[in-house]
Amino acid sequence: MGFPPSEKSMPRRQFLSLATWAIGGLIGLAYAIPGVAYLISPALQKASEKNWIPLGSTSKVELGTPTLFRANIERRSGWIVNQEEISVYVLTEDGRDFIAMSNVCTHLGCRVRWIADEDRFFCPCHNGQFDRQGNVISGPPPHALDRYEVRVEGDEMQVLGG
Amino acid sequence: MTTNVMDWLDERVGWRAIWTMIFLRKIPKVNWLYTLGSATLFVAVNQIVTGILLTIYYVPTPDHAYDSVQYITTQLPAGWLIRGLHHWGASAMVVLAVIHMLRVIFYGSYKFPREMTWFTGVGLLLVVLGFGFTGYLLPWDQKAFWATTVGTRIAQVTPLIGDSILKLLRGGSDLSAVTLARFYGGHVWFLPVALMGLVSIHLYLIIRIGISAVPHRGE
Repeated sequence: MGFPPSEKSMPRRQFLSLATWAIGGLIGLAYAIPGVAYLISPALQKASEKNWIPLGSTSKVELGTPTLFRANIERRSGWIVNQEEISVYVLTEDGRDFIAMSNVCTHLGCRVRWIADEDRFFCPCHNGQFDRQGNVISGPPPHALDRYEVRVEGDEMQVLGG
Repeated sequence: MTTNVMDWLDERVGWRAIWTMIFLRKIPKVNWLYTLGSATLFVAVNQIVTGILLTIYYVPTPDHAYDSVQYITTQLPAGWLIRGLHHWGASAMVVLAVIHMLRVIFYGSYKFPREMTWFTGVGLLLVVLGFGFTGYLLPWDQKAFWATTVGTRIAQVTPLIGDSILKLLRGGSDLSAVTLARFYGGHVWFLPVALMGLVSIHLYLIIRIGISAVPHRGE
């Protein structure tokens, strides 16, 4: 009261206002930083590790025509562990080298089917068509069907996925 | 620069008058006990922020409630912190609201012309207790389940309408998925709406009437 504020010193009111803003800002950050980390964390999760998935016996693959195999995999999302089925088309021309293709259309993710009569994969959603090796014949798909890495253990085929 | 933007905005929306009315209003010389209401409001904001964050992952069904809470607590970065702030904030709300009420009682601040501020405050205390009661069930662990079993059975003791209250609270005669869902709905929709409404009136009245001074002998 008695002393007028000196030239250098900050008026009490201004100091308190500044301190309020500073403390408020710190509290805001203390919420914002953990909050953002908490919100974006599932988006930053790396894809689960890949494993060799057994598909079945090589003797079941027909020569020269894509043969459908199904395999069950375990997928973890959040707090839920799901059993999911993946479908893989396997093609071999000579019984020794195998190509394993995903049945997921490269356009927008529908499932393709092998139509033996027309000798091509067909996607029902937007008429995407692929040849027996998965290359695009016609329609909107931007590239060939995705392939899995294949290995043969004994007579069992395995693909790398997860 | 900032001043220019603020001036531009003020010319169009008149925020400075509102700012002054709310934050730069004149108050009598009071003591620290007069900050308890603001402290309660601060914790309420904490509950709103952390509560909204929790809804991003929490799922109110018997299948998922417990697991989703465990996921929040153990798997997500700062999930333990956000859940912890909400958990402890809930207790702090009740404690702060009650001692704020005691200050109002002991200083006689509930008297004319502040009766409506008092009434909305009583409503707010009930809303806070409602939040506590409904929120306690949501983790869906043993403590939650049995506390709500007991809590709803206490309501059943009410003469004449006790059974109806129990069924209304549980959504049937048993504590079930229906109970969990309605407690969740109550916790995140009904009670927050009531809280916002009552807080708005409570604050409007405080600003309109001004806070009471510390009473002195002989006044």
